[in-house]
Amino acid sequence: MTRRQWLAATTFLKAIPGWRYEFPRDHFSHPAFRTEWWYYTGNVADAQGRPFGFELTFFRAALAESVERRNVWSTRDAYMAHLALTDIAGKAFYHSERLNRPGPGLAGVDAARGRIWNGNWESLVQPEAHRLRAVAEKFSFALDLAVAKPPVIHGHGGVSQKGPLAGQASHYISFTRLEAGGEIVLGAERFRVRGSAWMDHEFFSSELDEKLAGWDWFSIQLDNREELMLYRLRQKDGAASPWSAGSYVRADGRIEHLEAAELELEPGRKWKNYPVAWRVRVKRLGIDLLAEPRLDSQELLSKAKLTPSYWEGAMVFRGSHRGLGYLEMTGYDDRVLFTRREGVRK
Amino acid sequence: MSALFARLILRPLWADRGRTMVTLASIALGVAVIFAMDLAGEAAAGSFRSSMETVSGGEDIEILSTGGLPADLLGRLSGLPYPLRYSPRIEDFAIVNEKRTVPLFGVDVFANALELAEAGNRAEPKLTEAGQRGVFTTAGLGRRGESIRLQVNDEAHDFTILGTIDSRQVSGDLVLLDLEDADLVTGRQGKIDRILVTLPETEKAAVDQWAERLRQGMPEGITVRPVGARKEENRKMLAAFRWNLRVLSYIALLVGAFLIYNTISVSVVRRRAEIGIVRAVGGTGRLMVAGFLAEALFFGLAGGLLGLALGRILAEGAVKLVGLTVTALYVSSTAAPVEFAWSAAAVSLGSGVLVSLLAALAPALEAGRIPPTEAMARGRVDTQLQAAAGRQLAYAGALLGLSWALSLLPPWGGKPMGGYVATLALVGAASFTAPSLVAFVGRRMTGWAGVEALLAGRSLAGALRRSSVLVAALATAIAMMTSVGIMVGSFRETMLTWIDRQIRADFYLRPAGEAAMDRHPTISEDVARRIEQIPGVLAVDRFRAYSIRYNGLPVILAAGDVQAQMRYGRTSLQKGDNADAVRGMLAGEAVIVSEPFGEKHGVKVGDRITVPLGQARPSFRVAGIFLDYSSENGYIILDQSVARRYLPADEPSNLAIYADEKADRAALRARIEASYAPRRIALFENRSLRNEAVRIFDQTFAVTYALEAVAIFVAVMGVAGAMLALIIDRRREIGLLRFLGGAAGQVRRMVLFEAGLIGLFSQLLGVLSGALLSLVLIFVINKQSFGWTIEFHLPVLALLSALAFVLLATILAGLYPARMATRLNPIEVMHEE
Amino acid sequence: MEKRNLTGCVAILRIEDVSKEYVAQGQRVVALDAVSLEMAPGEFFALVGRSGCGKSTLLNLAGAMDFPTRGTVRIAGQDTGRLDDAGLTGLRRQQVGFIFQNFQLLPTLTVAENVELPLLLAGLRPAPARARAIESLAWVELDGYENRMPHQLSGGQMQRVAIARALVHRPRLLLADEPIGNLDTATGNLILDLLRRAARDFSAAVLMATHSPDSTRVTDRVVEMRDGRIQ
Repeated sequence: MTRRQWLAATTFLKAIPGWRYEFPRDHFSHPAFRTEWWYYTGNVADAQGRPFGFELTFFRAALAESVERRNVWSTRDAYMAHLALTDIAGKAFYHSERLNRPGPGLAGVDAARGRIWNGNWESLVQPEAHRLRAVAEKFSFALDLAVAKPPVIHGHGGVSQKGPLAGQASHYISFTRLEAGGEIVLGAERFRVRGSAWMDHEFFSSELDEKLAGWDWFSIQLDNREELMLYRLRQKDGAASPWSAGSYVRADGRIEHLEAAELELEPGRKWKNYPVAWRVRVKRLGIDLLAEPRLDSQELLSKAKLTPSYWEGAMVFRGSHRGLGYLEMTGYDDRVLFTRREGVRK
Repeated sequence: MSALFARLILRPLWADRGRTMVTLASIALGVAVIFAMDLAGEAAAGSFRSSMETVSGGEDIEILSTGGLPADLLGRLSGLPYPLRYSPRIEDFAIVNEKRTVPLFGVDVFANALELAEAGNRAEPKLTEAGQRGVFTTAGLGRRGESIRLQVNDEAHDFTILGTIDSRQVSGDLVLLDLEDADLVTGRQGKIDRILVTLPETEKAAVDQWAERLRQGMPEGITVRPVGARKEENRKMLAAFRWNLRVLSYIALLVGAFLIYNTISVSVVRRRAEIGIVRAVGGTGRLMVAGFLAEALFFGLAGGLLGLALGRILAEGAVKLVGLTVTALYVSSTAAPVEFAWSAAAVSLGSGVLVSLLAALAPALEAGRIPPTEAMARGRVDTQLQAAAGRQLAYAGALLGLSWALSLLPPWGGKPMGGYVATLALVGAASFTAPSLVAFVGRRMTGWAGVEALLAGRSLAGALRRSSVLVAALATAIAMMTSVGIMVGSFRETMLTWIDRQIRADFYLRPAGEAAMDRHPTISEDVARRIEQIPGVLAVDRFRAYSIRYNGLPVILAAGDVQAQMRYGRTSLQKGDNADAVRGMLAGEAVIVSEPFGEKHGVKVGDRITVPLGQARPSFRVAGIFLDYSSENGYIILDQSVARRYLPADEPSNLAIYADEKADRAALRARIEASYAPRRIALFENRSLRNEAVRIFDQTFAVTYALEAVAIFVAVMGVAGAMLALIIDRRREIGLLRFLGGAAGQVRRMVLFEAGLIGLFSQLLGVLSGALLSLVLIFVINKQSFGWTIEFHLPVLALLSALAFVLLATILAGLYPARMATRLNPIEVMHEE
Repeated sequence: MEKRNLTGCVAILRIEDVSKEYVAQGQRVVALDAVSLEMAPGEFFALVGRSGCGKSTLLNLAGAMDFPTRGTVRIAGQDTGRLDDAGLTGLRRQQVGFIFQNFQLLPTLTVAENVELPLLLAGLRPAPARARAIESLAWVELDGYENRMPHQLSGGQMQRVAIARALVHRPRLLLADEPIGNLDTATGNLILDLLRRAARDFSAAVLMATHSPDSTRVTDRVVEMRDGRIQ
């Protein structure tokens, strides 16, 4: 049986229109879907203006639809997490990743307690704020992200479509503006910081369409209290897929869907093979921005071939508007797969 | 200077090749044995790592408790805001394809996946294909895709090998499973054997602080400590054993020392003329001393270097022997490869050189004192030594007294130092008695014993220094052989008596496979229950053993059915009251301990001890001490009801079945076997347990026997070489005999008689001093090293046959010299100047 | 000057045209060259010559310790060339006594034990052997010295013990190799007289090798040797 057939034969739920969103329930885990992540990114600075970027991501990947629970170690979902800190002033980038089974409380999502965690990296999701705690070898932080705007749901009909077939989509929820405040410890130094953060939560079961190599995703927080979420699905030939899309969130919290045709995303100068600078235009909204990375080297190199390497970094946007945000670029080293990788790199 | 050395020393050595070879060989063998034992001991103990340490990943702290850690402890730890990595481990042993026992590890494949993948191991999270059960093994156990059968505890499971572990990171073969499978296969039911904690690079120096930090908030019964601690403990535990081995290995060198003394003495005597000449032309006495010490140095260095090479080769074979002992008595160890350790080499070589120099000191000093004129005189009997013999007898007496005093000393640093020195003193006493013995008997030999005997006795008495040294050398080897033989024989007898008295159950069951001191595989509880139902079975005593640490030394904590023991087993205590002990143990406030435990930790009846049990650290009163020879480590015995309170779900390590006397044994045995049929369980009937014990016992002393044999060989070889030298030095006398009408056969018989006399004297001295030595071995060295009480038994038959063999060997050693003697041309020797 | 065979008896020693050659360091050495000699019981001959002239070789042949390369040696009528090792040993035990320049007493045996040694080697029981040894000691006028050790004796006493030993088994032939070489003149003369008496009292043929011409005054005949030949 080929992967395709197998994928087709599963009974994981597909992301199709008609999902009835309910919060806070839908902030947490959806085991009926195969893949899920919770993505926190943000730009903060201390009182002296020393800037930092951070990323904390929790992944859940189902290994099978159902697994016989033989003992506390039996694993149906694997939990992975990524953690990164960009020390912009120090021109240094730190990142760490981990993979855990749920086991006896090693990792998981506990809706009752509002807790998403992997070891000692956790997010406590409460109605008014998300509290992030993460400890790595070289750094740690404790940040409280106060919910400044209610969460938005991207796409049409509650699904963010990424390909022609039904189900080639995800349920995609974002908190586009969170006021961040807390402490970062880097080496021996402690920094009390404030800033702005963004949280993405997606759950889906499909694989990226065959024709696609990866994507470039932007989260932009403009200083007029508006936000943009844009993703450019990149085909293998390098061109943008017509399934690219975006969202525009107004100051009052209303969300507008942006189609691929409205987006003009031009890659600029390269760092390694990642285009770290971009020109971002949405003519209809009068948005014409030049995006520059706050630090070139913000690549998360994967230790193993289990997860792909990708670039995720703090960005600054100038032009028609000013703003900060994050850019994520995937698929530049190898094709992105959400299920188990197999075979050697081609 | 070097030309002088070459001419005076080296050339005669070359001219006398045979004797030089023998002396070199004896030093070489002595050094080889010491070196081999050191290397082998190190390797066999796996460099003091138990098999559990074979997979090391630079972890710094370990967390453990008796009966296993609860899994949610891991969850709690991983949530702590510390930059630490936690590796849970399930550690057990599996019998692979019904042949070998290897360590089995359960690790969190998920948590390690990233590292393993990075390192090139294709260790992926568990496959989603249902039903596939996989393991990772080292290359020695199979290849990817092959199937492998693992027996853990009493059940066998089939697995597929998913991948091969890079053997550079581990020592020895092992099997790796994911925690989920390991838990099922070992029956841990959610428990973890150890959690290993890795500190970040920058914190590695602060191990103790981190251990303390982690210890806060943990229940008392849980131990948190740096990882090196176990290595240190193993080192301590094996220390006594390795010291004994080390001391034993020095015997061959000691015998070699006698031979060096002899050789250098002979050198001095033969070159009296040359020495006188050199002195007459201006050489100083110190030059002479230096010269002969240089000769001894040559033997020490050349022999020592040879010995190192030989020892390295011998070490390979010795590893197996020593490994048997270590596994049986202490710790399942995977033998590490034998490594040429420079420090051990230096010590062995240094010992060889030092011993040679010391042995040569007396004759060398004497050479320095030879006045020039005296060298010209020839044909004088060494009358000085005859007077000295009396003085030496006095020394012997003093040494005897000294050794008695030394054996009264308590142990020092856990080692019976007093006993070791007493041994040396006894050997010294025997050596100093030798001249008197030889002179006394030799001089009183008359023609009544035959002319050959007369001549033999007189010649020995006439060359008193040389002959008495030979006798001392051989006597030392015989004394060692005798004393160790008596000790081992006594031990055996004591142990067998103990088995007969204490082991009263009719059948014993334990999981099949080789037994080792630190492995406690279990039998499923349902088997025990089923056996209980069999008619004819009076009681099933479930025995559960755990390896714990007490004061840094390993101890076995065991839980048994005290009532069944006392009622059917009729266990009796060496100290303490039986009834009180039973009551106390059933009430859960008392325990009994074995004699070695009491000796090692200074615990007496009435003392209290604290024992880690599950999550707690309860304390108990010691109600009794019992004799036990199955383990040097010591036992603490609780009643099973107490154990169950702290460790509820645990299964027995072995079952003792008491049967009704009237029951048909064969039928009962068949029914018991049927009750556990597919499981891998070994059944021992009472009498075969005896045989099993004897087999293990003999196995553990294999290395001792080997060492003794080497010492005897060195001594006998020395006798042959020295006798040859004696013949050569007496060639004129032997030639004369032919002139006086002696036949060739008479000459041969005379030499054989000399060999026989040396043998007899050595046997006499050796057996006497050996008997005394055995007392030191049994009542001092053994008691202080291991803590056992051994009853003195004389293994008459074994001793007699060994002694007869040695006597025969000694006489045979005289065969070649005898032939040489008959081959001498009387005319040539008589007319030599 | 030749002395006649006094008794006119059968010769106890007959050396007929004997040559002895051997190879030493690759060279052929002729130790004796066609030597002939006869001795009757009671005769006392001196073999005179410089070192290396063949005296010792001749003595060894006369004592059945060696074989001639050519010629025959007869002792008491027996051809030594025809005897095996056991036969030679037996011949020696019965017929020959040896005396050496450096006495050659066994230092670990008492005087009496030294003297009785040849008898013990020959298989005689200890008691009669001891008796004869004491007799022999008395003959050399050393009674009372039985239990002394050789190192307690003077040179002359040691040689007398050696003579006692050489005579204890009443040999017919006494071979002495430089017997007074290590003794002073006075002691030496005593020894020579003793040898003379031995020849007379025991009817033994005494053949003495010596390089001192003075010692010839007690002998019946002086045989001069040079380069392996009798002059």
